[in-house]
Amino acid sequence: MRSVIAASLRKERIVIVGGGMAGSKLAYELCQQQNKSTQITLIGEEKQLGYNRIMLSSLLANDITQADMALVDTQKMILSGAEIVSGDPVQGISAEDKSLSLHSGRTLYYDKLILATGSRASILPIQGASAENVIGFRNWQDVQTMSAMAGSQPVSVIGGGLLGLEAAVGLAKRGHQVTVFHRSKYLLNRQLDRESARLLQNKLETMGITFLLGESPQALLHNDQGVVSHIERADGSIMATNLVVMAAGITPEVKVAKQAGLQINRAILVDAQMRTSCPDVFALGECCEFDGQTFGLVAPIWSQINVLLAVLAGKHADFSVAPVPTKLKVSGVNLFSVGRIQPTADDNCIVFQDEGSNHYRKLIVNDGYLVGAILYGNVADGSWYFQLIQNKTNVSDMLDLLVFGEAYCQSKVA
Amino acid sequence: MTTTVSTTCPYCGVGCGVNVTLPAQPNGVVPPVSGDSAHPANFGRLCVKGSSLAQTLNSDDRLLVPHVAGHATTWDNAIDTVANKISQVVKEHGADAFAFYLSGQILTEDYYVANKLAKGFIGTANVDTNSRLCMASAVVGYKRAFGSDTVPCNYNDLEQCDLLIMVGSNAAWTHPILFQRIVAAKKQRPEMKVVVIDPRATATCDIADLHLAIRPGSDAAIFSFLLQESARLGLVDRDFIAQHTSHFQATLQQAIESTPDLSTTAEFCGLEEAQLATLCEWWASQDKTVTFYSQGVNQSSSGVDKCNAIINCHLATARLGKEGAGPFSITGQPNAMGGREVGGLANQLAAHMDFATPGALDLVQRFWQAPNMATQNGLKAVDLFQAVEEGKVKVLWIMSTNPMVSLPDTAQVKRALEKCELVIVSDCKAHTDTTVMADVLLPATGWSEKNGTVTNSERRISRQRGLLPPPGEAKHDWWAICEVAKALGFEAAFDYQGVHEIFAEHAALSAFENEGKRDFDIGHYRHISQREYDAFTPTQWPVPEGRPEGTERMFSDGHFFTGDGRAQFIPIKPSLPVQQTTEKWPFVLNTGRVRDQWHTMTRTGDAASLAKHTGQPYVALHPTDAQRLGINEGTLTRISSAYGEVRVKATLSNASPPGQVFVPIHWTQQFANAAVVSNLIPQTVDHLSGQPESKHAVVQLEAIQDLRYGLVVSRRPQCFPEALYWCAIPSDNGFRYEVIWPKGVAIESLKATFTLLETGQIQWLEYNNEATGQRRLACVCDEKLDTVMYFSNRPEAVSADWLLSNLVASEPLSEPDRVALLVGSPANVEDKGNIVCSCYQIGSKQIEKAIASGAESVEALGARLKCGTNCGSCIPELKHFIPKEMELSA
Repeated sequence: MRSVIAASLRKERIVIVGGGMAGSKLAYELCQQQNKSTQITLIGEEKQLGYNRIMLSSLLANDITQADMALVDTQKMILSGAEIVSGDPVQGISAEDKSLSLHSGRTLYYDKLILATGSRASILPIQGASAENVIGFRNWQDVQTMSAMAGSQPVSVIGGGLLGLEAAVGLAKRGHQVTVFHRSKYLLNRQLDRESARLLQNKLETMGITFLLGESPQALLHNDQGVVSHIERADGSIMATNLVVMAAGITPEVKVAKQAGLQINRAILVDAQMRTSCPDVFALGECCEFDGQTFGLVAPIWSQINVLLAVLAGKHADFSVAPVPTKLKVSGVNLFSVGRIQPTADDNCIVFQDEGSNHYRKLIVNDGYLVGAILYGNVADGSWYFQLIQNKTNVSDMLDLLVFGEAYCQSKVA
Repeated sequence: MTTTVSTTCPYCGVGCGVNVTLPAQPNGVVPPVSGDSAHPANFGRLCVKGSSLAQTLNSDDRLLVPHVAGHATTWDNAIDTVANKISQVVKEHGADAFAFYLSGQILTEDYYVANKLAKGFIGTANVDTNSRLCMASAVVGYKRAFGSDTVPCNYNDLEQCDLLIMVGSNAAWTHPILFQRIVAAKKQRPEMKVVVIDPRATATCDIADLHLAIRPGSDAAIFSFLLQESARLGLVDRDFIAQHTSHFQATLQQAIESTPDLSTTAEFCGLEEAQLATLCEWWASQDKTVTFYSQGVNQSSSGVDKCNAIINCHLATARLGKEGAGPFSITGQPNAMGGREVGGLANQLAAHMDFATPGALDLVQRFWQAPNMATQNGLKAVDLFQAVEEGKVKVLWIMSTNPMVSLPDTAQVKRALEKCELVIVSDCKAHTDTTVMADVLLPATGWSEKNGTVTNSERRISRQRGLLPPPGEAKHDWWAICEVAKALGFEAAFDYQGVHEIFAEHAALSAFENEGKRDFDIGHYRHISQREYDAFTPTQWPVPEGRPEGTERMFSDGHFFTGDGRAQFIPIKPSLPVQQTTEKWPFVLNTGRVRDQWHTMTRTGDAASLAKHTGQPYVALHPTDAQRLGINEGTLTRISSAYGEVRVKATLSNASPPGQVFVPIHWTQQFANAAVVSNLIPQTVDHLSGQPESKHAVVQLEAIQDLRYGLVVSRRPQCFPEALYWCAIPSDNGFRYEVIWPKGVAIESLKATFTLLETGQIQWLEYNNEATGQRRLACVCDEKLDTVMYFSNRPEAVSADWLLSNLVASEPLSEPDRVALLVGSPANVEDKGNIVCSCYQIGSKQIEKAIASGAESVEALGARLKCGTNCGSCIPELKHFIPKEMELSA
């Protein structure tokens, strides 16, 4: 009985593991609520915490300065009573006594635990990939490593997905000679079709990037200092490189969750209220898996935060998966992709192509509904197409003008 | 200093006065023309065709030099070629181996010298004209009744009558100014009744108190019944009939036999009895009645009988020769009347005298001092072209008309012209369906250059004045005829010093030994000087010596120009068109005009604005028939008859009942590949007038399947050899085509063909829509529009105006405009500027606008536009938009 009384008198302890975008943003929003009966603790393994990870590309490309990187105002959080622990990764969790231990040896107790451990760059099982100049493109440290290199060195990026291309552009802007290896026949093959990828490639090539499509490195060859100095290509030829950026996908970070006995598939399994298999333990962001899906883009994660804020406040909310548009954060490149990319047998494609002005649009419609859109060059209608998909708007009456965008279709309705 | 000159419109038979302001500089642009407020035909009004005349002055298809056998040559050489060939065939085969085929669009003076040369000097009466196609039946009708080709009425009668019966006329479109005068009169006196008798509900029905949608061709029965109703109701003027007419009883008897009662007549005409009864009631109660009739009556195998059925009713009730009453034939062409006056038809001699007129041959021979008088009627138009095909006529001089389009059975006309040894075509256009058949091409002056007189539908003679210098080597038709006459050795008779001398001679002939015997007498002008001719004011004939004011109305005295001075009643047996529908040819085809085109578009086709109303040929059919045949709006439809085939788009209309279709007459092969409606028309003629039954054919219809419908807009003229249908739609800039291909047309090869000539930097824009079957391509050359092609599996209505305007754009295409090239029009797109927030697609211009209206921070922008509220990566950029002083004060 005493313990119950004690528990009701003290503040509710909410501990958030992970100082990335999901964790920081959640912590910030909880602080904003100024609930005097909760104690918020945010734990991050990186030294920097609460920054906008999406802007690492811009930082690498020198489009912005470090001062522009903040996602949340950590000073404000501290003033409101939150505790922020950075550079001190969690070592283990005990669900039984609701505690966790940090690398520093410290132990914390929680009433509610939120795991926002994010993900890490997948390191491909290529011979020689364990060298220190083989890095991901995930955190501030990675950017600092790249930024520290003097200009005009040969560098390689493995993976022509969003992250790989952003890294490649950033490195190219810093004056390096960048080569991108991409396993598929065209870039961004999960977001684009062949035509739009070709336009993108043309554009990136004008920025000085070389592409090796349909190709993965055979081996990363080390010099006598144990760092990668050359890449052996599939045809056996050798090319020099001073840095390898692995951008061939991400792996959810589930180590402590697994160790704590949470149910895990590809990532930590959660329900529509972001609850894990363990009472009072929640997960969100790139480390969670809902309805068979994991999340790498910011929009669904923001919805997860809203759901979780409601759930923690004792209200009901459901998370659901919605299609999320893709954009490439490269200045001078406008690209938008949402929904289905490759038409199925009963889909119809609507294509607009103006190669002279690098403008391309492909819509996929099925039985009167828009199910996918790829825009390159002029992406102004992207959010409208996104809405049409999300709201399941019947577009049968505007099929003839749909690809030309919202203004045309609305003037037709008007 | 500009000067303003009065002349006469070259289009319909209303003959409106037109004021043209001439630019101060010789090559200056002529501003839009205006109506001549002093002209009694129109009092300053002009229809849309007349108003657009200035747009037609700079044709890029003028015939500028003579051609012989396809090669440009001199006038001397061309005239020698013509004269030598005429001499040769006349010598070897007789004078009837030569023929003129003239036009209601040439001037009276042109007509006069052609008629004189053929009938008095070469010695053939083979002088016919396209007037044969428009009012030959009206002429014979008048002549049978009055003994002369005399239109009794004037335009004021249309305004003063209490009952106006419009038969076979869509005056709203074909004679717009007269229609407007009628509309105005009816507005002033709403009690004035207007009846329209027409199988089709036309625009003219808008003012009709009663529309009788009769069975095609049954018009005569209505007037036959009206005649006997007039007798039954005691409406006939016994005194007038007794004193001034013959054959009333026999005619009445025939009417009673043909149309014994209301129900029989109504059934024959396909009308409700009540409708016909209403007409009879109004006819009985309104003494001041004008019957206004046009091609719907005339273009018929029984056209003359229809005219006389009408005239019979007016004679029986003495409703003519007085204000607001009369049988009023309205002509279609600006100078069909002038041609009739000089005798420019194969069954006339000269000056309202026929070969059969006692003493006429001798009179005319003496007046002309003619060496080789023709002595009997020549060949009427259809007979003439048949004689050409048979090889009897070997030299044919076609002047200012387009028989390859206007004569029935185009295939026959083509065979005839191919067979003919020498086809001479005088025209102001280089490319018409007829000029391509010519061996000798003579460049003629056109309206605004030609100088002479025309006569309108109310007998009013007006001047057409030469305002602009003829381009190139173009010459007046009268000059070309006189030069050939001189080359044939008739120098003295054709040595005119000016066109006024021809008019004076024409006037002198009309008065020569006339003494009141002939209606046509303009003796007042027989000594007209150049100055008087130039100052000529519009006057209604007769203008005999001593009556310079002319004659407002004819037959007021009850005197007619028959042998005994009495008008003749003509017994009429109403008959239906020769061709009746069969299982194989189940539809009745009607033909006519559209509002903004005239004849074969050789002039109206130059005014882009006139193509706005109806840009393409069409077949109008009833929705019930369309549904049965699987035809939708815009479906390419094959119309075939025993004579040929036409392919045009369908339009669904309730204007005609099921079973009847309508196709306009205007589109030639210069404008469309398969739209010449004469291909379908049989060479059935009225046996009295020789006028073809051009408003009636029996046909079948079929929707053409598996097509690619297309629009092509280009800087260059294009041709479409693989197309089933194409139509060039006149435009101010560039070239616009509606095209229909078979489904399998190779679009990639068209791309190459259409841009073959370009040497600049070419970019292709493409739109391909599997959901709608649309495919669109735009070729941009050096950042400006070159060619656009739209393809679709079904008819699409796309406005090409914006695309056409882009062909002359001076600026490189903007990005929104490039998109618009494949839509056909610019959207009302908000120009967002460069996208700053890519999550919500918010652009720089939107941000600037929001800041200007008070959003002073990134947060405020986010609240208003949502920018920066998703991923936040645009916030640094957003900050740059906030003016520094705002940021500090915030």
